[in-house]
Amino acid sequence: MTSADARPFRVLVTKIGLDGHDRGSRIVAAYLRDAGMEVIYTPPWQTISGVVKLAMEEDVDIIGVSSLATDHLIVPKMMTALREEGLDHVRVVVGGIVPDEEKDVLLSAGVSRIFGPGAARDEIVDFVAALGRQSRSDRIDEFSEVNS
Amino acid sequence: MTQMAVQLPLPGFEQAQGEWRSQYSRQVREERPIRNRSGIEIQPLYSQRDWSGERYLDDLGFPGQFPYTRGIYPSMHRGRTWTQRQLIGLGTPEDYNKRVRRIIDAGATAISLLPCCSGFRGIDCDEVDPVLLGTCGTVINTTDHMDRALDGVPVGEISTAMNDPSPFTLLAFTLGVARRRGVDWSRVTGTSNQSDYLSHFIANHQFFRLSLPGSRRVLLDHIEFCRRHVPNWNPVSVVGQHMQQAGATPAETMGFTLSTAIQYAEDCIARGMDIDDVLRRFTFFFDISISFFEEIAKFRAGRRIWARIARDRLGAKDPACWRFKFHGQTSGVDLTRQQPLNNIARVSIQAMTGILSGLQSLHTDAYDEAIACPSEETARVAVATQNILREEARLCDVIDPLGGSYYVEWLTDQMEAEIESVIAKIDAAGGMYTAAEVGLVQTMIGESALSFQEQVDSGERKIVGVNCYLIDEDSTVPPADRPDPDAMLRHVERFKAFKRERSQEQVARALDALARAANSTNENTFEKVVEAVEVGVTHGEVIGCLRRELGFGHPLIVA
Amino acid sequence: MEALLKRLRAGDSRTIARAITIMEAGGSAAANLHRVLLPSTGNALTVGFTGPPGAGKSTLIDAFVAELRKNGRTVAVVAVDPSSPFSGGAVLGDRIRMGRHTEDPGVFIRSVASRGHLGGLNESIQLIVDVLDVAGRDVIVIETVGAGQSEVEIVEVADVRIVVNAPGLGDDVQAIKAGVLEIANILVVNKADLPLAARTVRQLRSMLALRRESGRNVPVIETAANSERGIAELLKAALDLAPQTPPERHARRRARVRRLLAEAAAIDARRRIIGRSDEAFIATLARVEAGELSVEGAIRTLAAHPELRSAASMQTSGSEQDEPAT
Repeated sequence: MTSADARPFRVLVTKIGLDGHDRGSRIVAAYLRDAGMEVIYTPPWQTISGVVKLAMEEDVDIIGVSSLATDHLIVPKMMTALREEGLDHVRVVVGGIVPDEEKDVLLSAGVSRIFGPGAARDEIVDFVAALGRQSRSDRIDEFSEVNS
Repeated sequence: MTQMAVQLPLPGFEQAQGEWRSQYSRQVREERPIRNRSGIEIQPLYSQRDWSGERYLDDLGFPGQFPYTRGIYPSMHRGRTWTQRQLIGLGTPEDYNKRVRRIIDAGATAISLLPCCSGFRGIDCDEVDPVLLGTCGTVINTTDHMDRALDGVPVGEISTAMNDPSPFTLLAFTLGVARRRGVDWSRVTGTSNQSDYLSHFIANHQFFRLSLPGSRRVLLDHIEFCRRHVPNWNPVSVVGQHMQQAGATPAETMGFTLSTAIQYAEDCIARGMDIDDVLRRFTFFFDISISFFEEIAKFRAGRRIWARIARDRLGAKDPACWRFKFHGQTSGVDLTRQQPLNNIARVSIQAMTGILSGLQSLHTDAYDEAIACPSEETARVAVATQNILREEARLCDVIDPLGGSYYVEWLTDQMEAEIESVIAKIDAAGGMYTAAEVGLVQTMIGESALSFQEQVDSGERKIVGVNCYLIDEDSTVPPADRPDPDAMLRHVERFKAFKRERSQEQVARALDALARAANSTNENTFEKVVEAVEVGVTHGEVIGCLRRELGFGHPLIVA
Repeated sequence: MEALLKRLRAGDSRTIARAITIMEAGGSAAANLHRVLLPSTGNALTVGFTGPPGAGKSTLIDAFVAELRKNGRTVAVVAVDPSSPFSGGAVLGDRIRMGRHTEDPGVFIRSVASRGHLGGLNESIQLIVDVLDVAGRDVIVIETVGAGQSEVEIVEVADVRIVVNAPGLGDDVQAIKAGVLEIANILVVNKADLPLAARTVRQLRSMLALRRESGRNVPVIETAANSERGIAELLKAALDLAPQTPPERHARRRARVRRLLAEAAAIDARRRIIGRSDEAFIATLARVEAGELSVEGAIRTLAAHPELRSAASMQTSGSEQDEPAT
């Protein structure tokens, strides 16, 4: 086990699409920080390409997308963009209001889970931590040589 | 500052109270202190020991008399009911027009328009994925769009609120429409009800338009322009809604909002404007939470404090300036996704709270607000709620009916103290603008929000259907009302065609003039915005230009 | 490894990010990678910004980066924020204030949490800076929140050390702590359009005049980030401090490596002494306690006698150890 694995999980908390309400995502950011994670927090109205660039530069393990109205409809596009940049290992959760008949679209696009507005703190934190572990074990460690 | 009640000698009073207390303790053996959202501890009973009314004239006054605690006008709702101003916003201008015509036919004299979020972001409809357009507001990017949205709407007779932050392009479009229809601008009435840029930066919602100093500049230009050319328009609405929705307590919200009003007033004075001329057109916009008595006390205290600030601190001479005029919106933050029909009950209580608080205009949320934009049916229930409160519960019969209640007067005094301590804190930080810059306000709000959430998480603060009285419910989220995608695509195509066909030369010149004004110290940027939209400059182009010249809006603080 | 280095030198974002992750974590992996990279370092100009909250640092950096881009330079920004001492987590929000650059591949932004390093943070930052240097970024900006001693250490890493002030922040220049002012080679008065700005500038200039190294020519530059005033001047002042010739560049790099070694040695020595529990060491401790040996004498004694390693002293670097039970 390399020292890299003892690192705190790095989580991007963001909003793509047009909704501007971010009270929920700030609270989730605080939850994750208090659970020992490093949260890179963005304001609303990020573009997909901006998010992908950020995820790449910050070497994040997980992305949490806060979504209202129809914002979730562009999440599959984000999943595709992440894959195209070789960020498959990054796990994605969506939090907010998603109509039931549209949940499957997100899950089949690779979103790990959709949290409704009433989700409990422990549930969120534990799940994100589990995703972090999955993300770490999935990543291709190109620098493995330096660990020898 | 209101004084505490004087102890009155009342024979037998102490003994009777003592007896009540001991009987109460026998029935209620152990209880934890009960605090309202602003942190004030609430006792089980209040009496004339807590408020006895000798300072009636100083602290309350009659309705329409300084300090206006009981109401800003002599006859209040009994003389003229509050204005019903329901928010509408969905889809294309034609979608908006259909809905707004219906409420006008039903007798509405005031309308509101909620623009699409793309508008808040400061971009046009051709710059965004079409699947996101028009889901929470109407897409209006040009004067033509506004003309179509207001087709058949008597612009000179109906009061409008555009929910449009700096640089107020929607008002510019409306003025353009008025000009086309031969309606003199002095007949255009309404409010720039999202002109409070500080609340946007603080509650981190709409800052993406212009930098903080840029927003400050444009607001002052806007106020000056309106005073001169649109004299019956309210260019300033100081907004408490965003901060309360972001988690500020009711007392904090009122404190921050009044501090913001002070800041804007001082900015106007610094610019050489006449305080009486300007302050008379200041209005306020608040969320109404379900904390019934607390909200009523908040607004009564707010009226009292504002009257004293306007007259004594800001030096306004005209009594019209001392009156705290406000629009209230029932708070969507209290509504739940779980068991949505419960929200009808919640909205009724919030609406009643607002009416008993003495508001001037009211918007009631639809019960599915927590999920999506309201449908026609749910919007109808929201309006019926107001009608029932007026016609059946007859809440308009008596002005300030809770006045004189020991609890309500005591709580009003307590809220006043809390609110004033917030104002003092902001004063000590150098005023609201500086406090926002250094993040003081945001930090306070963040702490309150987290504290509230912790209370909900622990079950200490109960929300029916969320952490108590849960049912094994079908957590289906019904599909939201969405605009017709084909109609929206056609709208976008038509817009692109419009941009191609207008005079590019005139557009370039207008944007140039706008840019020059932004870089000058004595030209009026809003005047140039109004001129620019006349030649077909779009919403996104106006904002893009001002962003380049006045600076990009940055969020000020995170968590 | 060759392929990796090639991608790094070509500026591949993903490789850069991964390399930074290794450096953040520290330990032998970071040391090994750094060894390989070090010979290629020394081309980038490092610019550190610090200053009290409310000085408008982030807006200034955003404008500075925009100016660099206008001048055709590639940029990297390392934004450092403190980790929570209780949970070890952090909310890293500095990059959100560089909203203009979110899509520009010429601006690489990385948010770094202090991770409770006690005195080892600047080592991490140095390693990260070296990755970005090898990746070909012309200018590397380091941003720290002005909060204590650590800000001095972080900014010391940089060639250009900018302390940002603003008028009206409490008792004007009181906000500048001693130590920070000592290391600054450019002082900025931001929000220069405010009425008290001139006074702040005067106060700074008189403080500079009182400094021991009176030969130092530290410019005081007035900026108003929102109107882009003074930004071009700031850029020029920063570029003027760049090493101009290869010998200068090598001298800078040598100085940095020396400092790196000194810091690593200090951390190592501290760790060893805290971690030692062998008999010889305890005996020395006892002698100091009894007043038979001075602290200075004890250090000389210990240096002369290499200790028997205890298991505890073989931990990886970057973590502080508690006093073991004696």
